[in-house]
Amino acid sequence: MRKRSIACVFFVLCLPLFAACSPKEPPPPTKKPPVEKLLIGLIPEQNLFRQMERYEPLGEYLSRKTGTKITFKVLPRYGNIIDSFNSSGMDGAFFGSFTYALAHVKVGVEVLARPVALDNTSTYYGMIFVRKDSGIRTVRDMKGKRFAFVDRATTAGYLLPRDYFFHHGISDYNRYLKEVYFTGTHEDAIEDVLNKKADIGAAKNTVFQRLAGEDPRILKELVVLARSPDVPENALALRKDIDVSVRSRLKESLLTMHLDPEGKQVLERFGALKFIETTNKDYDVVREYAEHVHLDLATYEYVNN
Amino acid sequence: MKRKIAIGLAVYSVVFLLAGMYVILTIRNATTSLDRLITLHQVEILREHYLLQIKKVQSDLMLKGTAYSRSFDSVVMHVMSMGRLIDTCFECHHSPRGMERLNGLKQQTDKYKDALSRVLTVRADTARLAREKDTAFRVGEDLIEQVGDMIAFTTSRLEVNTQHAMSEIERTKYILYLLVAAGPLLSALLGYIFISGLTRPVKVLVESARKLKSGDLDHRVAGLKDEFGEVAASFNEMAGSLKEQMQKMQRTEQMVVVGELAAGLAHEIKNPMAGIKVAMSVLSEEAYISPEDKAVLQKVVAEIAQLEGLMRSFLNFAKPQKPRLEPVNVNQMLNTTLTFHLKHQAVGAGGPRKIEIVKEFGELPVTLADPTQLQRVFLNLFLNALHAMPRGGELDVRTCLEEDGKSIRIEVSDTGSGIREDLINKVFQPFFTTKPKGTGLGLAISRQMIEQHDGTITVANRPGGGALFTILLPVKVEGAAA
Repeated sequence: MRKRSIACVFFVLCLPLFAACSPKEPPPPTKKPPVEKLLIGLIPEQNLFRQMERYEPLGEYLSRKTGTKITFKVLPRYGNIIDSFNSSGMDGAFFGSFTYALAHVKVGVEVLARPVALDNTSTYYGMIFVRKDSGIRTVRDMKGKRFAFVDRATTAGYLLPRDYFFHHGISDYNRYLKEVYFTGTHEDAIEDVLNKKADIGAAKNTVFQRLAGEDPRILKELVVLARSPDVPENALALRKDIDVSVRSRLKESLLTMHLDPEGKQVLERFGALKFIETTNKDYDVVREYAEHVHLDLATYEYVNN
Repeated sequence: MKRKIAIGLAVYSVVFLLAGMYVILTIRNATTSLDRLITLHQVEILREHYLLQIKKVQSDLMLKGTAYSRSFDSVVMHVMSMGRLIDTCFECHHSPRGMERLNGLKQQTDKYKDALSRVLTVRADTARLAREKDTAFRVGEDLIEQVGDMIAFTTSRLEVNTQHAMSEIERTKYILYLLVAAGPLLSALLGYIFISGLTRPVKVLVESARKLKSGDLDHRVAGLKDEFGEVAASFNEMAGSLKEQMQKMQRTEQMVVVGELAAGLAHEIKNPMAGIKVAMSVLSEEAYISPEDKAVLQKVVAEIAQLEGLMRSFLNFAKPQKPRLEPVNVNQMLNTTLTFHLKHQAVGAGGPRKIEIVKEFGELPVTLADPTQLQRVFLNLFLNALHAMPRGGELDVRTCLEEDGKSIRIEVSDTGSGIREDLINKVFQPFFTTKPKGTGLGLAISRQMIEQHDGTITVANRPGGGALFTILLPVKVEGAAA
């Protein structure tokens, strides 16, 4: 009985305290910050799987540094990138020069940064090449031959050969050549010419040089007949509506990763010295080149079946 | 024994340590075999998984272009998983031959991936597409065959290793059973050895003590070593000493009996002898006795007087009187004895010779003692000293109180020839004498009297010659407990 009385007194004395402690209004529901994710597309510049393997460490590094989970999605074709922005919810991509120029017009993506290669260049150019023993040296020699393009949305693998034939007075190269096909990757275009699966090929010089480093037959057996102007190397561009803070964190991480020991290691594996800032203006050369071959980016319909 | 116990414990520890190490080693070997087995199983699973993945990709390839073709992303994911699986193989340790096979597999996989990439990206006419697809398929089939070979190889190795590991485990099991059984047995054996090593000597000693108790004083402990050997030696010494003491006691008892008999006899002889002496004296006074006969009779009387002295001394020794204690000044008593009795005795016994008496008396308390007995002891010592110095010499008498204040030390020494070392222990024995006419009872009676006063008397030869008698007499105060 006595214990119960003491407990009652204690409870009454504590009531003001409970009142002071209890919130007058219910607390606002704690909002869990939405998990930031970015789906970044990769164009098949090289073997699809090697491309994924090359970019995965970069994605992991950027995810750690920005706090935004970055996932890559490799695409079977260059031009698919533009479709994917509408169909797959893609937030950005490492665009080739021509695909960026096209995507900027069609989807409105904004470029952030591009890598500087180990030879300290941040641009590339397209090349038309044949086997030395093929006897093909001029456009006349190409008649009735097999041509390995890369993709209809590449500067090196499409704009260059188109420009080449256009300036040599051949308006319909499909009829002029025995076969025109698209390898899908620069690597395969080079490999096909080397292995006589095609007679003529077009690809970007950076892939050509990398493969030449791995296979000495390339420099020994292939000869370059034409080249395109220098255009910016594949660069990361994001949709316009991506959060500014996410965009700036990503850009900051890319531009400073060469100063971070861990970032430096990732760059070494990626095959670059650093990332440099890239603007839309850097692609003027591509746009001019497209105009040069009478290709209107605004109305260009990418079909690569 | 300590050493044996230490060595035994060390051996015990080493045996257990070795057994423990052996068990650990055996278990480690068995677990290593199991680890290897598990690893091989993992490798087999990995390779089978890899084979399944390749087959899945082959299936993707076959379905491509049909109504059942999988999505591009799924195909890419399958190929990437396949690539990751082969990379996983490189994370494990391989022999150079295994690494060579693995590198071959990796190259074939890369070739397959290249071909697949081509199939997925190339846009060409149907014939070229078919050729690319066929090329990729053939590369895939080659890869399947290669992986199949490796799986067959792994399976065969797995069987051999499984058998080896199982036999290893079986062996380990038996060894552990053996050790589990042998451990307690070894402990019991070692324990038995230790305990018997301890109890056996104790048993022998107890047995010997019982024999001793039963009166077998000739029994000796034998066959014990180390610390127990020392105990046995002490035991044997004790038994020897006990036997000696028993013999002494028996002799003493015999002496007591003989003494009582002799005393009775002496008492019986004394009275007739007194009558003979009186008769001889009276007869010698007779006028008709010629001077020659008188001389003979007087000699008889003198001999009888000597016999009487002997009888008296003997009776005193055989039936010592209890000391009648009264306060005595030891220094004064010594002085008196030296001054009166000794002078008289010396003149009477020794003839003209120069005896120098040196007295060094310390300050002594008055003690309770029988003055007659003490005087007799002192006189006896002084007379012995005089006798030891037939050509004169120095008689030293010293007294002092011991440092503890409980005893009075009295030293009487002479400058005579001393006592032969082989006889020095016998001087206090009754009837032992070096004098031609001595009774051999003087010193024995003296020791008896001093011991009746709870004191001691000892003798030693002085370094410069002569004998030194030392009496230690306890200081007794009137009224104090005796």
